Amino acid sequence: MANKILIVEDDSQLSEAVGLYLQSQGFEAFYCPDGGAAFATFNDVQPDLVLLDIMLPIKSGLEVLKEIRAVSNVPIFMLTARTETEDQLLAYEYVADDYITKPYNPPVLVAKIKGRLNPMKKPEVSSDFVQIGPLTLDIVGHEVKRGDEKILLTPLEFNLLLTLAAKPKQVFTREMLLETVWGYHYKADTRLVNVHVQRLRSKIEDDPDNPKIVTTVRGIGYKAGQS
Amino acid sequence: MKRKGVRKSALGVFRRSLPARAVLFTVLLSGVALVALGGFLAYSIGNGLYQTRLQQSLSESKQAVIEVQNTFSAASVTDDVALQTLMNSVVPKLESSSANQSRKVALIRSPGQTTTVILQSPISAELDPSLIPLPLRDKVALETGKLVYQSIALPGVGSPHPGLVIGSAVYLPIAGNYELYLVYDLQSDQETLDFMQRSLIIGGLFLIVAIGLVSFFVTNLLVKPVLIAATASEKLANGDFTQRLQEKGEDPTAILAKSFNQMADSLQEQINKYESVSKVQQRFVSDVSHELRTPLTTIKLAGDVIFNSRDQLTGPLNRSAEIMHEQIERFQVLLTDLLEISRYDAGAVNPEFESVDLNGIVGMAIVGLEPLASSRGSKIRVDIPSGPVECEMDPSRIERLIRNLLANAIEHGEGSPIDVAVGQNKSSVAVTVTDFGIGMTKAETERVFDRFWRADPSRKRTTGGTGLGLAISLEDAHLHSGWLQVWSEPGNGSCFRLTLPKNHGLTIRNSPLPMPPEAPLGKNPSPKVAEAKA
Repeated sequence: MANKILIVEDDSQLSEAVGLYLQSQGFEAFYCPDGGAAFATFNDVQPDLVLLDIMLPIKSGLEVLKEIRAVSNVPIFMLTARTETEDQLLAYEYVADDYITKPYNPPVLVAKIKGRLNPMKKPEVSSDFVQIGPLTLDIVGHEVKRGDEKILLTPLEFNLLLTLAAKPKQVFTREMLLETVWGYHYKADTRLVNVHVQRLRSKIEDDPDNPKIVTTVRGIGYKAGQS
Repeated sequence: MKRKGVRKSALGVFRRSLPARAVLFTVLLSGVALVALGGFLAYSIGNGLYQTRLQQSLSESKQAVIEVQNTFSAASVTDDVALQTLMNSVVPKLESSSANQSRKVALIRSPGQTTTVILQSPISAELDPSLIPLPLRDKVALETGKLVYQSIALPGVGSPHPGLVIGSAVYLPIAGNYELYLVYDLQSDQETLDFMQRSLIIGGLFLIVAIGLVSFFVTNLLVKPVLIAATASEKLANGDFTQRLQEKGEDPTAILAKSFNQMADSLQEQINKYESVSKVQQRFVSDVSHELRTPLTTIKLAGDVIFNSRDQLTGPLNRSAEIMHEQIERFQVLLTDLLEISRYDAGAVNPEFESVDLNGIVGMAIVGLEPLASSRGSKIRVDIPSGPVECEMDPSRIERLIRNLLANAIEHGEGSPIDVAVGQNKSSVAVTVTDFGIGMTKAETERVFDRFWRADPSRKRTTGGTGLGLAISLEDAHLHSGWLQVWSEPGNGSCFRLTLPKNHGLTIRNSPLPMPPEAPLGKNPSPKVAEAKA
């Protein structure tokens, strides 16, 4: 069965062109022209992935992102104008899986969609629970707990944390994380990793400015625990 | 050598410092004037003193001679003994009757007389009669009844004292013609003169120092506004258009300040005008670029759908799909570059600095362009240090920059090999990309970083560069406080050198890698040497 992609975009011709292209690549395309109807359409279609423009009539793409994230963990790609800097994007409460800037390359878009849709290679772990610092990761239940307190993570954030926690001594480069966590098998913007690591830290660290669980290895990448 | 240096630096001070020159000339000229004035004063005062003393002494002496002559004429001495007694009484009397206590007296018999009376010549105890010059004695003998005088030197403690001897002939009864000499010691006058001269010299020296100081302050007072204006002009020339001078009073300094401020105002106005025009242009380019994104993306998507199904199209349709695909691709690259340079123009670039190994970045850039290079027959030769070359940078931007340099070298290298070298010293790292292709003239080299500039517009465009690559590269280098330099010679190729500070924000003093003309082309600069130097 073809994967369903919901395209939320106000430019009808662009929206249609994306749909035609995705159909030519074997996806099923659904359209929504404004932010107001986006959430309803999402519930109707139950897509496997959402392409969400930020500049939308009635309701902004970021509002829509918040609505969808409240009920679902499907991958969401934001289509950005790139005038927003990464810092500004970070300030939002919810972070999309990726940011795609116009003018984008269709094959790259498809590769990214495929990367996010294909089931991720789960890091090999011996037990159903992985301990990292004060956190316990429940692999089967897709849950993170600090003691009894549950921490809400998106699937991407969960996989990022799990990937790092599964090999606590290994340092992961951003490229490695893009490949294992995002499923991107080609060069992508490594700043995406930075954004998500910071987002993850804001949820799990006591002091996100002085991280203890996910630490930065200068000049290389990230690792679990302190060096 | 050292003295020469000192002299040179002193000369330099005079050449540079207006106050120093003014003080020197003022002191020299007033010194000459003071010496002349002092000389004249000393001479006229000395002369005046002498004349006064002379007249005084002469009138005293006249008195004395008359007195002595009267004494002898009036005395009715009849024998030698009485005469001798009278003569002996003359000397102490004359010695004590002078205002000048130091008057010495001598009563000497004139030579060449026939009378035989032999009497002792009474002479003051401290007077050596040989001090009386013989020419004066001759003169006294000749000019009877007249006072005759001459300056002489008297023996004194230390140095001889100036003296004055005044003589006149007197006639003594019985004894005949005698000469009366009065000797005056002018030492006290000399001392007055010396004291006055010393005072003049000391006063003159003080005056010269005072004149030097005054001229220093006055020149500084005059030069200071000029210096302030010069400093302000320099800052203005360096681009600080807010520089203004204080307009106070109505003197020439104020006029200078006023016209300077007017000039600065009109400059600032002009610059602001150009800046706003340029801002409008940049804004226009940016807006156009942003507006083009959506249609271009739409065209690209639709075009790709057609391109991917071109097998179903025949002949001209198939080829058209290919051409359209390629041109859309080119359009997209151009638009991406335009958007990037617009971000630099708007100052909206947020680089992410991290410490990475430059070798790795260079390696990745080479891997990306190796296929293009080998399709042109260019071999990329690499010379990198064995150890890591850590540097704080935005890796994606630096990799793009090096890719741009490589693409440029492949484009203009005409199949010649391309040399890539990496080097480092204590504070900075560098990459050079050298080709041995057509090269550029000096005028062309100066424009190589200009937007949309192409060395030879008639030449076939092969790699499809946008014309913005090197302009963006230069912006990237500046973003890193780095240098991007170029050397080129027609027919010999080009060399681009990127130098980055190891830590962001540091200033580069010198590049670890040489570039032509210091390092002739073809001789690969050895980064190992550069490393050893550091």
